Amino acid sequence: MASCDGCQLTLLDCEDELLALGEAVDIVHFPEASSALRPQGRFDLTLVEGSISTPEQLEEIRHIRAVSHALVVIGACATSGGVQALRNFADHEQFMRVVYATPSYVSSLADSTPISAHVPVDFELRGCPIDKAQLLEVITASVVGRKPGIPNEAVCMECKRRGVVCVMVARGQTCLGPVTHAGCGALCPAYDRGCYGCFGPRESANTGSLATWELGRGRSKADMVRAFRLITGAAPAFEHESKRHEP
Amino acid sequence: MTPPPAHWLERDELGHLLALIRGDGYRLIGPTVDGAAIIYDEIEGVDELPVGWTDEQAPGRYRLRRRDDDAIFGFAVGPHSWKQRLFPAREPLVQIRRDGDDIRFSAARADPPPTAFIGVRACELAAIELQDRVFVRGPFVDHRYAARREACLIIAVNCVEAGELCFCASMGTGPRVGPGYDLCLTELDGGFVVEAETEAGAALVQRLDARAAADAELTARDAGLDSCRQTMGRELDTEGLPGLLFGNLDHPRWTEVAERCLACGNCTQVCPTCFCFDVKDVSLLANAETARERSWDSCFGQDHSTIHGAVFRPAIADRYRQWLTHKFASWTSQFDASGCVGCGRCIAWCPVGIDVTEELSAIRSQDPKPAIELPRPQVWWPREDDPLVPAPARVLEVQPETPDTVTLVIERTTAVREEPGQFNMLSLPAIGDVPISVSGSGEDFVEHTLRGVGRATKALSELRPGQRLGVRGPFGSRWPIELAKDHPLTLIAGGVGLTPLRSAMQQLAANPDDYPAVRLFYGARSAADILYDTELLAWDSLPSCDVSVTVDQASRRWLGNIGFVTRLLRRKELPLDGRYFICGPEVMMRQVLFLLDEAGVPKSHRFVSIERNMKCAAGFCGRCQYGPYFVCKDGPIFRHDHIDFIFGQPGF
Ligand code: SF4
Ligand code: SF4
Ligand code: SF4
Ligand code: FES
Repeated sequence: MASCDGCQLTLLDCEDELLALGEAVDIVHFPEASSALRPQGRFDLTLVEGSISTPEQLEEIRHIRAVSHALVVIGACATSGGVQALRNFADHEQFMRVVYATPSYVSSLADSTPISAHVPVDFELRGCPIDKAQLLEVITASVVGRKPGIPNEAVCMECKRRGVVCVMVARGQTCLGPVTHAGCGALCPAYDRGCYGCFGPRESANTGSLATWELGRGRSKADMVRAFRLITGAAPAFEHESKRHEP
Repeated sequence: MTPPPAHWLERDELGHLLALIRGDGYRLIGPTVDGAAIIYDEIEGVDELPVGWTDEQAPGRYRLRRRDDDAIFGFAVGPHSWKQRLFPAREPLVQIRRDGDDIRFSAARADPPPTAFIGVRACELAAIELQDRVFVRGPFVDHRYAARREACLIIAVNCVEAGELCFCASMGTGPRVGPGYDLCLTELDGGFVVEAETEAGAALVQRLDARAAADAELTARDAGLDSCRQTMGRELDTEGLPGLLFGNLDHPRWTEVAERCLACGNCTQVCPTCFCFDVKDVSLLANAETARERSWDSCFGQDHSTIHGAVFRPAIADRYRQWLTHKFASWTSQFDASGCVGCGRCIAWCPVGIDVTEELSAIRSQDPKPAIELPRPQVWWPREDDPLVPAPARVLEVQPETPDTVTLVIERTTAVREEPGQFNMLSLPAIGDVPISVSGSGEDFVEHTLRGVGRATKALSELRPGQRLGVRGPFGSRWPIELAKDHPLTLIAGGVGLTPLRSAMQQLAANPDDYPAVRLFYGARSAADILYDTELLAWDSLPSCDVSVTVDQASRRWLGNIGFVTRLLRRKELPLDGRYFICGPEVMMRQVLFLLDEAGVPKSHRFVSIERNMKCAAGFCGRCQYGPYFVCKDGPIFRHDHIDFIFGQPGF
């Protein structure tokens, strides 16, 4: 669907495990790896990346759902609409006129939306891009029949387990870690940078309290709009928060 | 007893002390400056200590600052604690290897190198002692923790300056270092007062160029400790705190703090006494090797309180209340001490500066309801075997019970005979382990009835005779069937809640002389869902037993009672001196207890079986907490009057 194809590359990036993967499952359609035509039939597990951005994609995802036993959507685009969902906050016609010479050739929906907005999904694997170990875990879980061991927690938990010194507390930076779904292993805080929220809001994301705290220590409302409106800015909790701080 | 003599160590001699310890083969872990904070890390000598550094702390704020002297230990505690060394954030517990139908489980050993902890503060030593209560002084020993604990040498430091967020004096844990150290240093102008508590510590002093401390030096030490005590940045009134908190479970402050709390879990991760962990099977694709690993968990996460997809603490207010009531109240019932040592970490490292001392005093001062009495702690005699390592066991037989339920008859692997009401942890490689109650047992077999609803139970229910699985247990409390010797006994079961009662029923039915008056009331969803039908008929035919079954949904072939089990109960006599065992979904148990209230049956005559999320079953992982209890060790069978203040309370 609409994406940069980067999440598919994560699968190719599993160099060491690719052989074992090939033994454990029969990969029948993988556009980034092979140009073989999509076979007809039914599939045990379908991984889909990208958001629903055009009428054709909407049609296609319904078909994919119908022929897949398990549908796992991967990446920020597929789970929240992705960075291209920034257009949801603006006039999309106007964007098209600015970007394309002949906008009438482009067929595009007004909003870029996650797959789950259109069809039921079995699992949403977050991230921009997704984490390779987590992807293997989702595939393993489906092969052996366990619940994917993807913890439903804040980035802070990974940050603390890793022994990172909190950048909010010790460096006074804004960090979306407390309201963001874990999965990256607290990559940015480990490099002394606040979390950008690539994995999207976690359950119970108390974005309001985080914003109040940041405003209380001198950040501006514009800073809050920027912080919450980035890679997963169209995910409901983040969208709601950024809108609260719009001028 | 006279205290062991204190010595005086010149400042320059500290390097000598560290070198001696290293020379004895210890790895040194101590405070060191890392970018923005003082953390604990491997060090080689004095140069890496934070000489001339201190910290400024406030709620949600920590900054390093240069001191105007060159004090070595002139700072308060930082984001790390010794917990990371004794109870690492992530570690393997069990290695599992599958070889065809064969499964091997082996304990992951810690094999820790001898390690010296340099600069352990009073509150931190108290925190280590508290974690000892969890990991080595409960019903079982965590062997990985115990091995690391034994391999460590503790060089403690008395605090002569208090931090902005410290309140060890209120918690009774400091600033003077309590027992449990090898050597204790007090940093004064020009050097250290050194006290040894163990032989290892005394031997080190012997080898140092240290003279006996002069009286003036001892006076200076005491003055430093006193001034530290007087200048604590925080204070907490702990008087009657546990009962006060449990008496105020619906205090408005919980919702108020939940508006600010991010449920991020940072407070629990930096807290040196928090011990909750999650356990997961880590394996790759169809590989034969699985590592069963644990990693730090927090009651602020949703998974912590989830079973079968139901979340027991959905709201942030539930989770904050769990954290605070556990730390400052439940701990006292569970481990005979407060779970807080007053280190202030949770205040500094809360990204939005929530201050536990402020929250607690708000509850105390804003119209509190009266305190309640909490249960007294139990004393345990730890068993020596490793409770986390399953034994492989063969499936002897699989009996289908209903379309989605089977009984696995498994070969017995332990000499310990299961009691009715107890449970085993059943496990499959790469899938994980789940608690399943014992539904029956004999000389050389154990029976478990399970419904294949979750992924693990589904995989277990698909096992075939001859295949293997892992079993560990038995765990937990039992039904007190001996009460039926002197009292009429009524067993009330709903759905699969019959399974733990079945093993009780088997013993009761087999000994009619001892148990002359037993009734079983059982409600199933439909006729097709009735478990153990031939056994039910057989029990009913005995003069000592009376069995009544009802189904929720009528069907053409069912000629018996229709309606919930409570409807059946309404038509029966409920003797006041009778004893009642109840097991089923919590809503059903609530309704039954309500009926018994109406009938006037005392709460102390009723026993219920509680189900919560369990990972370790040995009292280590904290997942199964139920107010002041652990379901895995204090339960699953509880007397109603012992839990009535939390039973049915949302959030517990
Ligand atoms: S740096 Fe960010 S992710 Fe890490 S603990 Fe602090 S707030 Fe959480
Ligand atoms: S509750 Fe807070 S102050 Fe108390 S021991 Fe834990 S981190 Fe320290
Ligand atoms: S009290 Fe603070 S640190 Fe603890 S979960 Fe809430 S916001 Fe996070
Ligand atoms: S403490 Fe781990 S299950 Fe009870």
